[in-house]
Amino acid sequence: MASNGVIPIKKADCLELTGDISPVEAEQAVRGVPRVNIRFSGFKDGRGFSLAALLRRAGYKGELRAVGPLLHDQVDDLKRMGFDTVEIERRDSPARIRNTGGMNSIYQPDPGAPLNRASAMHQRAVTIRKARAETLAAQTEGASPEEILRVATAEYGGRIAMLSSFGAEAALGLALVADIAPDTPILFMDTGQHFPQTLTYRNRLMEHLGLTNLRTLKPAADQVEAEDPGGDLYLTDGLACCDLRKVRPLAAALDSYDALITGRKRYHGGERGQLAAIGFDGERVKINPFAFLSREAVAERYKALDLPRHPLIENGYASIGCWPCTAPAMEPGSREGRWTGQDRKECGIFDPARARRAKRAGAIRLIQTEPRRLGAERIA
Amino acid sequence: MYQYDEIDRALVDARTAQFREQVNARLSGALSEDEFKPLRLMNGVYLQLHAYMLRVAIPYGVLSSEQLRSLAFIARTYDRGYGHLTTRQNIQYNWPRLVDIPDILDHLAGVGMHAIQTSGNTIRNTTTDPFAGAAADEVADPRPWCELVRQWSTTHPEFTWLPRKFKIAITGSPEDRAAIGVHDIGLRLIRSKAGEIGFEIHVGGGQGRTPVIAKKIRDYLPQRELLAYLTAILRVYNLKGRRDNLYKARIKILVNAMGADCFARAVEAEYEAVRGRALTVPVEEIGRVSAFFAAPPEGRSQTTPPAAPGYDRWHGVNVKPHRVAGRTIVVIPLKAPGKTPGDIDADQMDLVADLADRYGLSEIRVSKEQNLVLPHVDESALESLYTLLDGARLATPNADKASDIVSCPGLDYCNLANARSIPVAQQISRNLHESGLDAVAGKVTIKISGCINACGHHHVANIGLLGVDKAGQEVYQLTLGGVADGDAAIGKILGPGLNAGAAVKAVIACVRVFAEKAAPGEAFTQTLARLGAAPFKEAVYGV
Repeated sequence: MASNGVIPIKKADCLELTGDISPVEAEQAVRGVPRVNIRFSGFKDGRGFSLAALLRRAGYKGELRAVGPLLHDQVDDLKRMGFDTVEIERRDSPARIRNTGGMNSIYQPDPGAPLNRASAMHQRAVTIRKARAETLAAQTEGASPEEILRVATAEYGGRIAMLSSFGAEAALGLALVADIAPDTPILFMDTGQHFPQTLTYRNRLMEHLGLTNLRTLKPAADQVEAEDPGGDLYLTDGLACCDLRKVRPLAAALDSYDALITGRKRYHGGERGQLAAIGFDGERVKINPFAFLSREAVAERYKALDLPRHPLIENGYASIGCWPCTAPAMEPGSREGRWTGQDRKECGIFDPARARRAKRAGAIRLIQTEPRRLGAERIA
Repeated sequence: MYQYDEIDRALVDARTAQFREQVNARLSGALSEDEFKPLRLMNGVYLQLHAYMLRVAIPYGVLSSEQLRSLAFIARTYDRGYGHLTTRQNIQYNWPRLVDIPDILDHLAGVGMHAIQTSGNTIRNTTTDPFAGAAADEVADPRPWCELVRQWSTTHPEFTWLPRKFKIAITGSPEDRAAIGVHDIGLRLIRSKAGEIGFEIHVGGGQGRTPVIAKKIRDYLPQRELLAYLTAILRVYNLKGRRDNLYKARIKILVNAMGADCFARAVEAEYEAVRGRALTVPVEEIGRVSAFFAAPPEGRSQTTPPAAPGYDRWHGVNVKPHRVAGRTIVVIPLKAPGKTPGDIDADQMDLVADLADRYGLSEIRVSKEQNLVLPHVDESALESLYTLLDGARLATPNADKASDIVSCPGLDYCNLANARSIPVAQQISRNLHESGLDAVAGKVTIKISGCINACGHHHVANIGLLGVDKAGQEVYQLTLGGVADGDAAIGKILGPGLNAGAAVKAVIACVRVFAEKAAPGEAFTQTLARLGAAPFKEAVYGV
């Protein structure tokens, strides 16, 4: 018996929905079901297109199959909506005719598809953004932190934020922002594994500097529950832990910002040795007001500003992240105490390729399917 | 105006190539007419009474001289030497051969045009103020947003199979010239108290057999979130709009059934989920698109007062104020006495394209009143322009006058029509001119639809005529008091239906009452409100 658009199917592993169902009911109904058929009453019945996108957005990761008297011309669009498989139930279907098909450029972000392709407007924006950042980088080569931040806020006002770990060197950047653009959003990733001293220090510093726009980013509770229920993922897979607790929450929050202020400096060494004041990571502009400062100049600024310092610096910590992956370092101001024993010195938030992989990790899943019904044509 | 980049070109080229393949399959018999139908409709090809009809999109009514010349070339080469401008700022060719349509689309693609989504249950061409970017009273230019909406809505994977067709209109001026109150979505650009530009959002207006004025569902939307908000509205409509009855499928029915408040809440909930992400228009893209619509440079003022006969009257009626010094807006009514409203022949198209090049920065607009507009004419060239237009019967001084009649193609072309609206429009026009009534009456709109689908916008005419079929007879219903722009209103039926001849006389009688009884400067609806329907009823029915 069908009710509310849910047609119970005897097989335990499959559920069939029609376009009559409300998205909320559909989201509840599909939980834990490995495969969902969305039935189209005719090829003009466009409801299933939206329904698929909403199920994907709600986190449904199983197989979505479009079933009904659909047209071949609709297959590409159905896939963009999040369907894995299209089952065309039309014996007389005019095969091979493609209407919308296979275009490389897309005017819209894929509403429900896992590919997360950039839409035309984003492709174009990124091209312009990159060129502009290069111009600004040339203009600000060797400039003072104040000058760099002034240029950046004039250009990117309203879509710029500062990322702060409230670690050993955070105070300087925060003081600079407080001085020049105090309403700039300060993004803090509360990984759940910070030193308690970091959290205390965060509150103290915000208050001291008069910054009010703190935005705390946390890993999604359901993802923590699924991937790191014991809170000890760092023991077995440090990269995965950073993905869960830093890269993904940040990727979600960053959609609102086209430019980020960082505290990176050339003297950090490694990949940062060539840092420009204004750089481009493939998607976003990175503002590095302190890029050109020497370690001594940073120390002098601290001294002149008389800022509160992270309490752990006294204990020999030079760069401070989450407690499991931070150790004291020999050299002050270096990152040698980070991820000791792992072959890396970055968490991955500054690696756009990794950020993109992480962003779609929640949505992508390849599923093996087999032909199941004679007389129906399936396009996977 | 907007120029295609490689992305736009690739998309239109790919689509054109695909449609050629589909047409070939139809011509070879590999596709039946039934199978071909949804494919051709996606590409603007209708099957009319006598032939296929091709509707070409003129994005938000904006044309370059080069594009207009291509339209003329197509009319001359593939049609019978003319085209018909529609109330939705598009152009229709009534006699193309199916075998030629792929070539026509190739020509169009060559000048950055297409016929995608000029039909079907899709998001249609976004319409706007024909004076956009030129109007003296503009808050912000709607054209960059029209272009962004054009791109977002074109080949949209989710909204190509809507319950019914979907029309969006945007106005950038307080004086609405885009009829946003009778569109599925009407958008008004406004300035917030903080000085930011955004949109006021109206939903669920429409004409057809159930005329409804749109409801405002949001006072202010930040401009960068326009596509996110449109997505939310369309998604609610796509999921909940009725699909069981063709006549109950438009969004206006859904908004009325849910109640505007409830509908707005559903939209807001969805908007919360999509805002601030990939649909937010990047600042750089707004800048890129806006740069195509930069304000024109100042023109030169007239040095000597023009002396050409008829110039003053033409200037007083067809020329409108521009926002930039030394420039004016010139309306070119396609409403010479006795002509088919909106029809334009290939020679006229070429002439207007040349005049646009010479005097108007190569730009032309199509208005929902089925006229052409030169939006950026150099003031010093007005007299020369007038003389050349007059020589081509394109200087009839009747923009916004009674004889500026809007009409659908009617039974002469359309297989939905009940009545022949064009001959009725032609007779009214002739009569208005011959009687001299057109010159003495103030601003009044007359619109004629040949059937209940209301393509001629009769519901929102000051004086509207609707052709219906009554027991095999063409009968016309007369309505008074409709308004399309600004405070949109639906006209009310004056009395019993009339045959074609009586309908013509009735319209003339109503215009005469208005001409005689209107206070100085009074609009038709004001006269009607002041006097009531009685004097009009008496003039038409003699009671």
